Amino acid sequence: MTAGRGLGGWAATIGIYALALTWLYPFAWMVAASLKPTAQVYTTALFQGDWTLDNFRFLFATADTLDRPFLQAMGISALVTFSVTASVLLSSAFIAFALARLRFPGAKLFGDFLLLQMVIPTTMFILPLFVLVKQLGLLNSLAALILPSLMSGWGIYMMSQSFKAMPEEYFDAARLDRAGLWRTVTAVVAPLNKSIIAIVALFTFTGTWDNFLWPLIAISDTDRMPLAVLLATFSKQYGGYAGPVMAGAVLQTLPLVTLFVLFRRQFLQGMSLTLK
Amino acid sequence: MRTGRPLSREAVIGLSLAGAYLLFAAVFWAYPFFWLARLSVTQWRFFDEPVFTGARNFLRTVRDPQFLLSLWNVVRFLLFYLPIAVAGALTVAFGLRHVGRGKAFVALCFLLSNVSSGVAMALVFTKIFSTTGPLNALVFDWVGVRIPWTNDPTLAMLAIALVVAWKFVGYYGLILYSGLLAVPRDIYDAARLDHAGPLTRLVRITLPLLNAQLMMVLVFAILVSFGLFTEPFLITGGGPADGTATPQMLIYETAFRRLQPSHAATMSILVSAVSYALIAAARRLFERKVVLA
Repeated sequence: MTAGRGLGGWAATIGIYALALTWLYPFAWMVAASLKPTAQVYTTALFQGDWTLDNFRFLFATADTLDRPFLQAMGISALVTFSVTASVLLSSAFIAFALARLRFPGAKLFGDFLLLQMVIPTTMFILPLFVLVKQLGLLNSLAALILPSLMSGWGIYMMSQSFKAMPEEYFDAARLDRAGLWRTVTAVVAPLNKSIIAIVALFTFTGTWDNFLWPLIAISDTDRMPLAVLLATFSKQYGGYAGPVMAGAVLQTLPLVTLFVLFRRQFLQGMSLTLK
Repeated sequence: MRTGRPLSREAVIGLSLAGAYLLFAAVFWAYPFFWLARLSVTQWRFFDEPVFTGARNFLRTVRDPQFLLSLWNVVRFLLFYLPIAVAGALTVAFGLRHVGRGKAFVALCFLLSNVSSGVAMALVFTKIFSTTGPLNALVFDWVGVRIPWTNDPTLAMLAIALVVAWKFVGYYGLILYSGLLAVPRDIYDAARLDHAGPLTRLVRITLPLLNAQLMMVLVFAILVSFGLFTEPFLITGGGPADGTATPQMLIYETAFRRLQPSHAATMSILVSAVSYALIAAARRLFERKVVLA
């Protein structure tokens, strides 16, 4: 289909590549602005200016005196995100295995319950979740950011859909080997379902790292804020510091873009799975 | 079921795994759900005991002009967002089908915005849309005027719609592309024999065959529009003149700034109800069963 398209075909190809690259422009502008002195952010062309790392130095060194501990916020974000992602992956894999492969009374009802949860928008729960976390005395703590996200109905459902499609022979072999639950899931199921696990991991990681509304409500001390919220409060108060704000935006974006680039193959495969 | 007989080992493992999740959901899902229902029929200010007030919250909320304005703002957002996002997604989908080798590269370029940070990008777009920002510099060079993106309610809503469309066009495009792959080629050959032009082929063949995927995009777009918070909160702050104040922003303000959780809980229940109603209406209007004879 690619051969013999003529001039119009080539123009369309160039057009779509140009559009794809334009889509990356905000990232390019963000990185460029983070590396320029604030005075030059709006006055120089994209790739011009006196390149400097001062904005990042400002964030890590000086921002503490403005009551904005960025390094610590990155640590908090990392801790919360890794705990939640690890817990969601582990619990989803085992519970999805049970749902997809084990016969137990109420299994179908359990699947229906997950579907019901998925059609009720999570934004509805923000306010009552605040009430619960307040009653538990966990406001303003890391537990408030981690506990409510330890398991994911969506993760269980997505994985179970993929596990259901596996041929039964794999499990016959596992039974012959007398493999227990742990070995069956980690050595048989997980390696054969990398794409869907990568998708659940990537979306959980991104969603937790970039979660904004919930930590904005649950955390009020600046020295317990994750990066997303600290950055937003910093931008609100010191919006004039365009350079440092963009440096903070780069820090917030970097882990997500890195993961996306590293796992791009699994991501594209997994996306086509979720769209079936 | 198997009354009297002991459960098999398999069933015990299955039940305990499912039970672990149900326990989690009871605490972090069912209990908040119960509180939401309770708040909607009581008067409460975070500290005192809730007092039963019946339907008063509902009556107050449906007549609250700010609440109605925020729902109207969702409609205004959709009027901008739907055409931009659907046109963009179709472009991406046809583009992906058109390019040969670089398919993965093009897809990843459009998808990066979807998986990157919404908070960081909202801050970036605040700068890009500012009067001295790069977008206005470009417009100024071309036509000699600057666009006051955040000073006018309509322009501000357009700016928000553009940012959100930038974020989701790649994802929607991939959905439509998966539908395009399923369209059989010989249908187009037959259409060409009948002298159907490109526009006719698009409107009479491609779009109807993509109905399932277009419906999926439409439902996702409606869900996104009712959930909007980060972009308007950080880019416009809901202004000017509440012109970009979304339901989620109003719920946040009402619950945590004005400390009226009962009012806010009622709003969030009504917002969900309205979004379901809109999705049901959209499906009724546009969903078709497409059968290839």
